[in-house]
Parts: sequence; C-alpha cells; structure tokens
Amino acid sequence: MAADFEPRIVGFLCRWCSYPGADLAGTSRIRYSPSLHIIRVPCSGRVDPLLVLKAFQDGADGVMVLGCHPGDCHYVEGNYHARRRYALMHRLLEYVGIEKDRLLVEWVSAAEGGRFAQMTTEFADQVRELGPRGGTQVDRAD
Amino acid sequence: MIEQIRDKARELLESKQISCFIGYERGTRGKTHPAFIYNPQEVGRLVWDESCTHNLTVYLHQFKNPVKRGEPPPRVGILLKPCDTRSLNVLFHEKQIDRARVYVVGLACEGVKGNGRLAGRCQRCSERLPLVYDLLLGEKPEPTGREDYAEVADLEAMSPKERLAFWAREFERCIRCYACRQACPACYCFECVAEQLDPPWMGIAIDLSQKQFFHVMRAYHLAGRCAGCNACEEACPMEIPLSLLNRKIAKELEALFGYKVGQDAITPPPLATFKKEEEVPL
Repeated sequence: MAADFEPRIVGFLCRWCSYPGADLAGTSRIRYSPSLHIIRVPCSGRVDPLLVLKAFQDGADGVMVLGCHPGDCHYVEGNYHARRRYALMHRLLEYVGIEKDRLLVEWVSAAEGGRFAQMTTEFADQVRELGPRGGTQVDRAD
Repeated sequence: MIEQIRDKARELLESKQISCFIGYERGTRGKTHPAFIYNPQEVGRLVWDESCTHNLTVYLHQFKNPVKRGEPPPRVGILLKPCDTRSLNVLFHEKQIDRARVYVVGLACEGVKGNGRLAGRCQRCSERLPLVYDLLLGEKPEPTGREDYAEVADLEAMSPKERLAFWAREFERCIRCYACRQACPACYCFECVAEQLDPPWMGIAIDLSQKQFFHVMRAYHLAGRCAGCNACEEACPMEIPLSLLNRKIAKELEALFGYKVGQDAITPPPLATFKKEEEVPL
C-alpha cells in the first residue's frame, strides 16, 4: 500500500442538514479531509443505492451518505427509507467484495459542523487504511 | 395429474372463461418449454413432469394490456408451482396483474429436476403447496428441505479479497445477454437501467466492472421482490450463480426485517416501507 495514497471519497450530503453542517465546518474554519468530494442532494432518501454503486464503479475508494437525524427529515420520511436501504446495501457490498468500511451512512445535523469534520477525517483515515479499491476496477485516465 | 390439467384447460377455454392457457409442452428435442394454448382442441399439447422448471408468471406480463382498446385485458389460465405463486403474489402486490384476470391452476409439487438432479431450490423447499390458486391439483408431499443459506454462509466466511476474486471470476463470464432479466417475473421495467441512455447509468462495454455493476444493480432492484424461483440462474448461458446474490439479500431481509417474499399480496416489501422507531443496524 502506497504511503502517499490519498483516497477519493464521494459524499452525498442532504441539502437540509448535512450540507449546512459541512458549511458550518467550513465557516468555523475547522479542518477536515480534502479527499472528500461533496455532492449536494435534496435528501438522503434521494440517494439511490445505484449512485453509490456507480461511484464505486467509477473509482471511488469510499462513499459517504449523510442525512438528517431520524425524525428530522425535511421531507418527513426520506431518511427512514434511506436507513433501510443502506442497511441492506452495506451487507450486499460486503458480500460482493467491497469492504463495508468503505461506505459510511450517518446522520449529521446543521449544527454539527465539528462532528462532520471529525467524522469525515476519521472516515478518510479508515479508507486510507484499506487502501485503493483494487480488483475489478478498470484504470481510468482521470 | 396431466389429464386433470388438460381437462381444466379445455373446460376453461371452451367456456370462454379464459382466452389463453399457459402451461408446458414438449419441444422437438424432448425438453419442456412454455406452451400457450388458445384453442381447446390443442390442450393435448400440455405436459407436466419434473423437467418443467420455468416460472410461467413471467409470461403474464404479455397479457396485461387489452387486445382491443376499451376492452379489459384478456383473462388467462396459468399452471404454477408453489415457488411460482410467490412471484405471482409479488406481481399482485405491485398491481401488475389483477387477481380476477388470472385463473391459477396450482400444483402440489415434489420438485423439479435440472440436469437429472433435484434443483437446488427444490432441495431447500419447505412449502410444496401453492400459496395462491383457484384449483389445487395433487396431494401435498412431505416437505423435506429447509432454507439454511449454507452456500451463502460459505461465501460470507471468505475474506473480502477472496470474495472479490470469486465474484470477479463469476461475473467475468457474463456476456450481458440479459437472459436473467428476461426470465425474471419481477424484472418488468419498460426501460431497464441497463439500457437507459439518459442518464447513461451503465456502459455496455465488455468490462468487468460494468458487468458487476449490472448484476449488483439487478440484485438490489429485486431486494424484497425476488421470490427465489431461480429462473435467472437457469436462463444464464454462462452458468453464473445468480442465486447466491439473491439468496444473500433474502437472508438479510429475513434477518433485518423478518420478511419473506411473496407470502401474501398485501405486505409491502421491506424497502418500500419503514418503521419510525426501529433500530436498523447500519
């Protein structure tokens, strides 16, 4: 495992809680991992598991799905759906050979900037530990 | 039993209760394949034996639309094994097929054979009686099997690297013929993600990651909807063990949400519903 390996992490952040949470981390000048590439989505329930799969297929080393805490969803029930979907997705990914530590599903509120930064950094370390996602992936120029 | 099936099919067709009876017939090379009987005089073509492995519910999708505009869709009779009736329940729940538009001849089944031995799903079958039927034929045999997910557990015991290699070996062979999808009663999207061009979810290159993506996608789409009829695996010309994927999901859904597919036409599949106060281990 190369020591200079920097993982590529895709983060799907809910527009109402987690994205403002990340924003708060930024405006509060808290450092967090630069490996994270954030994609803003309306709701964690919007994150079709295929998006996660697609991210992995296109060479992501880790994927984060962050949403509002259960009960706080702007659309009332989106994150409850996400919770069930990703409970299964975790197990399916593990089963097809993608370590489940590469997928993080968590709840981050708009006030939890510090927690977001800490979580992101820890997750990046965890993925760095696992190394590049080898095996089936094709080499891409980007 | 075959005489009873033929008599019932003839009676239904002659009295115009149904416009078509879907069953099995013997092909030119001795194998059984699906038969569509429109004419009561042709019921003699119907056969039933342990080589009738197909899940015929997949053909019901062809009868969903009316033949003429303004008319109701045609009513069909269909011959179903216990495992196939689970698929039918899924389609009822998804409002694909109206219960009143099918006449189900259910069979008490002793298992079907592929390549001379009892199919895996039949070895594990604990039902042996159809869950939904209008007419039940045969006596209930003693169920012998039990689903223990042994093969799934073997795979789970491997390290992630080994599993990755295992699936790479299996998916490598995929030729993207989509036979698995065509044979599947639950795969009825007008436009499959695999062929969707906007957005282009999936490439069509002969590329391992794309093949893997396709199969994981399909397995996930069938989560809570796959009745385990194993039609996909039987249709696969490259002998990819797709049942290992589907059974893994069935196992997890049973463990997580206590859900078994197709037991009735009312319970929504676990990924289509939720409970607020549940603990879901992520």
